[in-house]
Amino acid sequence: MKIMKISFVAQQLRILKENRLASAGAFIILLMILLSILSPWVAPYDPWKTNFDKNGKVEMLKPPNNQFLLGTTLYGRDVLSQMLIGSRVTLLIGFFAGFCSAFIGANIGLISGYYGKITDNILMRITDIVYGMPFEPFIIVMVIILSPPKISTIGLAIILITWRTTARVVRSEVLSIRERPYIILAKIRGADNFRIIYRHIAPNILPLILVYFCASVAWSVIAYASISFLGFGDPNILSWGSMLYEVFANGSIRAWWWFIPPGICLSIFIVSLYMVARCYEEFSNPRLRTHR
Amino acid sequence: MKNYLVQRGLSTIFIILAVVSLLFFLFRLVPGDPTTLVISPALDEIAQKRLLQLYGLDKPLYVQYCLYMKNFFTLQWGQSFFTQENVSAILWYRFWNTFSLMFLAVLSALFLGAIGGILAAWKRAKSFDSVVLIGVTFFQSTPIFFTGMLLLLLLSYKMGLFPTGLMHEPGFDSKTMLGTFLNIDFLHHLALPLLSAVLYYLSLPLLIMRSSMITALGSDYLLIALAKGLSNSRILFKHAARNALLPLITIVSLLTGYAMGGQVVLETVYSWPGMGLAMVESVQHHDYPVAQATFGLMAIFVITLNFVTDIVYCFLDPRIRY
Repeated sequence: MKIMKISFVAQQLRILKENRLASAGAFIILLMILLSILSPWVAPYDPWKTNFDKNGKVEMLKPPNNQFLLGTTLYGRDVLSQMLIGSRVTLLIGFFAGFCSAFIGANIGLISGYYGKITDNILMRITDIVYGMPFEPFIIVMVIILSPPKISTIGLAIILITWRTTARVVRSEVLSIRERPYIILAKIRGADNFRIIYRHIAPNILPLILVYFCASVAWSVIAYASISFLGFGDPNILSWGSMLYEVFANGSIRAWWWFIPPGICLSIFIVSLYMVARCYEEFSNPRLRTHR
Repeated sequence: MKNYLVQRGLSTIFIILAVVSLLFFLFRLVPGDPTTLVISPALDEIAQKRLLQLYGLDKPLYVQYCLYMKNFFTLQWGQSFFTQENVSAILWYRFWNTFSLMFLAVLSALFLGAIGGILAAWKRAKSFDSVVLIGVTFFQSTPIFFTGMLLLLLLSYKMGLFPTGLMHEPGFDSKTMLGTFLNIDFLHHLALPLLSAVLYYLSLPLLIMRSSMITALGSDYLLIALAKGLSNSRILFKHAARNALLPLITIVSLLTGYAMGGQVVLETVYSWPGMGLAMVESVQHHDYPVAQATFGLMAIFVITLNFVTDIVYCFLDPRIRY
């Protein structure tokens, strides 16, 4: 009898397809990624260029019209182009920082949970210390220390604080899997520790890690948007957070066409991420499955 | 149980010491020479040396560390580089400003989240449940500063119902500390930040309460209560909710830690004079003593609250044996 092996990608697609909200979420995320990749060609204007009208006056704070679909900013720049180009940095730092944070957190959780005793004690103490520090203030302090603020240093600061949740959750899961019969059998057969962790335990925790991967991406995006909003982001980089900073710092909240689009896009992106995360959470914990 | 409490207490003290020490080393890593902010290089050599001696910066690192730890825990946090005020004096009233907003926000979020969770669990798989879940997820995903700005636009600028920020009208003065918080002006200014914060923090208590209520509603003793003929609200609130409340206690500390981080952004949007705004302003002005003390205070607050929650949970759940 032939045993059909499904690829990892096909497996994930199958899991996502079963849950309608998750499929919608995944679709929106892919759409945003596609738009951000194609943005240099789709964006109608240069997001950094000040636009002038026929008489040479700056097109300052114009509401949405035929020429500028989402209106212009205080400096005469097109909001739609800024949104499209800004999505690149927002998504990039979200996925990169989220992936690194989930990777580091998962590994710390696996090692800590599997080895136990002194390693576990030390790693969990470190996790407790990181847990004791509030989220945004830590990133702000790291931004001062690693100043001048560049996107790489802010990404590093985000990774340094977001790994803590994944580590704790993965560790508690590993603690329960560690005592299962097939792990003990693998040990009896002579498998070394590395093989047991990464060949036997990790694949069973993968749905849980994927939950926290999606959540880490969401947290990274919110973190970078918050830091940019406070004015500590990279001033040369355009992102949705920096657009919101410009609105707030200039006091132009009445220009609703300027600040509502990036905010709504941030919300939609994070909602989609949480939908996908919830789908994986139901998959990894069958007790949570509610059927409608 | 006593063993557990002692162990947790020692662990908490260890974590506080570790975080405060980490703060010391982090601020020593600031690029450039931080002493130039205090000791201008334009002064002549002798004056610079005198100032170095005055601040204790010429001593070896471990001596500076011991002095730092001693000063930190005796609440001598130095003087602000920017305003030359005592940092502890600045933070005293800023802490209470932040605490007033955060306490009310977390309390309201817990209360409303609990009620919402109970009702959503009761009407599970009907449209009410879906609407509540979608609404709560949407508000959790919207960054808190965006909700704040939206509310400012709609309720403050367009409709003029609420003020646009700060804690009181300019020129407000009160004789006592309590007087600043117990008047109608404060409540008027509190409304919008409180609303933004509650909408953001609502999701976690609501979801936790909902899932624990779903578990509690499946219990046998509720079948008997239903057979006895008790009304729905009595079953819900008097029997099921009481048992479902316990997981909510565990997230109080989580929620407060979350709220502490969110305060930074919330206070910036509404110019609420609290610790979060102090953090942002001190970084903008390169005011390291204030930044250091604010971060230390926030961290100690969160860690202490975690410990208190552990103790409370330990007493509340008789099933836990350590």
